[in-house]
Amino acid sequence: MEDRISIGFPIMREEPGEKRVFLPGFTRKMTAMGFEVFLEEGYGNALELFFDDYKNNNAFIHPASREETFQKDYVLILRSPSKSEYQLVGKNSCLISMLHYPTRPARIALIEELGMKTISLDGVVDDFNMRLVENMKSVAWNGLDAAFTQLSRNNPALLKADQSPWNVLVIGSGVVGKQAVDAASKFGRRERNAMHMENGGSGVIVHTIGRNITHHTDQIKKLLKDTDVLVDATQRYDPSQPIIRNAWLAQLPQDAVIVDLSVDPYTLDTEPMVVKGIEGIPQGNLDKYVFEMDDSQWGETIPHAIPTDHRRLTVSCYSWPGIHPERCMRHYGQQIRRLMRVLHDKNYDTLSPDGLYFERALYRARVNTFIHKQKSS
Amino acid sequence: MKATKNSNQKITIGLPRMHVEAGEKRCFLPKLVNCLEKYGAQVVLEHGYGEEMGLAPQDYKQAAPSLIFADNTQTYQQDIVLILRCPDEERIRSMRRGACLVSMLHFATRPKRIKLLRDLGLQAISLDSITDDSGRRMVENFNAVAWNGMEAAFELLQTIYPSPGFFNPSRPPIQVTLVGAGTLGAFTVRAAVRYGNLALQEKLSRIGVPGVIVSAVDVDITNQAPVMHSLLERTDILVDASSRPDTTRAIIPNYWLAHLPDHAIVLDLCVDPYQTVAREFHTKGIEGIPQGNLNQYVFSPDDTVFESIPEQVPSAEKRHTVSCYSWPGIHPLECMRVYSSQLHPVMRSLVSRGGPQAIRADGNFFERAISRALLSNHQ
Repeated sequence: MEDRISIGFPIMREEPGEKRVFLPGFTRKMTAMGFEVFLEEGYGNALELFFDDYKNNNAFIHPASREETFQKDYVLILRSPSKSEYQLVGKNSCLISMLHYPTRPARIALIEELGMKTISLDGVVDDFNMRLVENMKSVAWNGLDAAFTQLSRNNPALLKADQSPWNVLVIGSGVVGKQAVDAASKFGRRERNAMHMENGGSGVIVHTIGRNITHHTDQIKKLLKDTDVLVDATQRYDPSQPIIRNAWLAQLPQDAVIVDLSVDPYTLDTEPMVVKGIEGIPQGNLDKYVFEMDDSQWGETIPHAIPTDHRRLTVSCYSWPGIHPERCMRHYGQQIRRLMRVLHDKNYDTLSPDGLYFERALYRARVNTFIHKQKSS
Repeated sequence: MKATKNSNQKITIGLPRMHVEAGEKRCFLPKLVNCLEKYGAQVVLEHGYGEEMGLAPQDYKQAAPSLIFADNTQTYQQDIVLILRCPDEERIRSMRRGACLVSMLHFATRPKRIKLLRDLGLQAISLDSITDDSGRRMVENFNAVAWNGMEAAFELLQTIYPSPGFFNPSRPPIQVTLVGAGTLGAFTVRAAVRYGNLALQEKLSRIGVPGVIVSAVDVDITNQAPVMHSLLERTDILVDASSRPDTTRAIIPNYWLAHLPDHAIVLDLCVDPYQTVAREFHTKGIEGIPQGNLNQYVFSPDDTVFESIPEQVPSAEKRHTVSCYSWPGIHPLECMRVYSSQLHPVMRSLVSRGGPQAIRADGNFFERAISRALLSNHQ
């Protein structure tokens, strides 16, 4: 029997709402490329997928224990395994996951200490530094959809009594902000937008501001007064400072909704410390991403030192794309498939910065490349 | 894999110059020409190629020693003709039957062009139709469209902004109203909040001048006259970045421009032309503004160019306008660096496969992308 390159697929053990797995179509394509696939027992069950759905008479797809999946040539898991599980990764294995090197110094130290080979999916970038594995569109659309779902609970067509348009204020115009403008202009869902317009609604005006406005307190307070939906889509240079102070939230109308797309965590014990862009809002996840103003869980993710006096209904989710797991994984599968083709013919050590398009992109995502770049800058 | 037409004949690629307005200086860079030769093509370059961008024949010769310089006519006689902007009808007619034109052909809005190509028995690959599996364009420079357009608009606004002046910290934030929140709109938002120019942004930020508020609306909302009128009244720069389902109807009728302050600027990023197709008249998204090009893209309200707008288009209301058919061409070298890099893997696939006839719809990533852009696959 031919000696195939193996890929292990461990299950993500995060909150119960995290259901995402690579889909049967993806694993089938991996075997067609020449890989041998090992799925952790129970893989896909959260999405009502069972081993037979993956196996489908395919001789190169096997069940395996969690430990075994971590020992394969490649270990493919969307969100990073927990710190303790890094020890499980085989000596010659290569971990492929969203590892966020630039913002996770402790993780980098652990990877170095263990001498691991890793490829960070969020670090796979083309010659223009554009990410090749990303789902920013889902971040924005799912987040805005969640917000307008709340606003439409008692007003399905989102019609305002005074016939005025909805005002959305997006802070940040980077990759997420750009998608947020598009999503917000259609109420987070095209069908909802169509229904609103058919019913004679006045639509949405999406206001976007950058740093040169957020530094002017008077201007920002004025804008907040007329804002129905406030969106944080920032990528801050200085994450130790919020952009919108908690006290300023008092300017927002009582029934306004805050959308947290940046989902920076509160980590006051790191250097520099990190706070959320909008001060005093909670951090959500796939189990709970809607927080009413009087929510009993409001303070659970917020350190005591952070003021939370002023609240508005908030939607926040660490993994916005995971709200629609199948759609999300179809998208990621398509993006990752073409990378795996390269990784079949090359490996972590033989990837070259002078290779073809996808090889160069993968080279940039290796932990060694990141560390080397960091040391030389 | 090296390209061959048959056992001993190389595939040939002609790269003509564009010969449009004098301001159009763009040519593909030596690095791309090197790629074409490296993967087995015989490259034929028009005499003077790249000269207006400061490139000498030697720069191309060094990159691709076997290339041949020829006159414009000869470059059109090759198996593949690669040129950024679509050539005129006469030049298309001069191509050999069965040859392939690779250019920004905009199939969706140019039915006449499609008919011509088909009638002449030509194959074509429209660069703007090369898309990946999720429908994202792979050869595009929306970034340059947005940044160059916004830069031009803000340069003009600095000179006409009323008292207390553009650079005065007591002036209110600049209000940009953006029509269209799709892909181009998204790039425009980013460019607009930075004044289309990072150095200008830095300068204004340093002296404490309030920045820019961009208010974006989808094409749908533009049917709401009261909402739009109220927005227009406080607009400093009105931008058309829309993608209209029906180009026979304007989004902003000319008489609405009367609601704009006198100093307001209209920025045309879509650059849809005024044209008659199959007896239907297609108009610009913002009615009654002129179409610019790389020679002239800034128009004051008293510019005689307004008189050249087709008669059936209402144009009584005029504001300062910036419009350019080829926004990325304002900075030609940067632009061609982007295009050449994006085209590199595409042309490698095309040449390596031996030409468009060998491109497989179920081939690798780049073949699939090319396949989607083939004239023969266009409905």
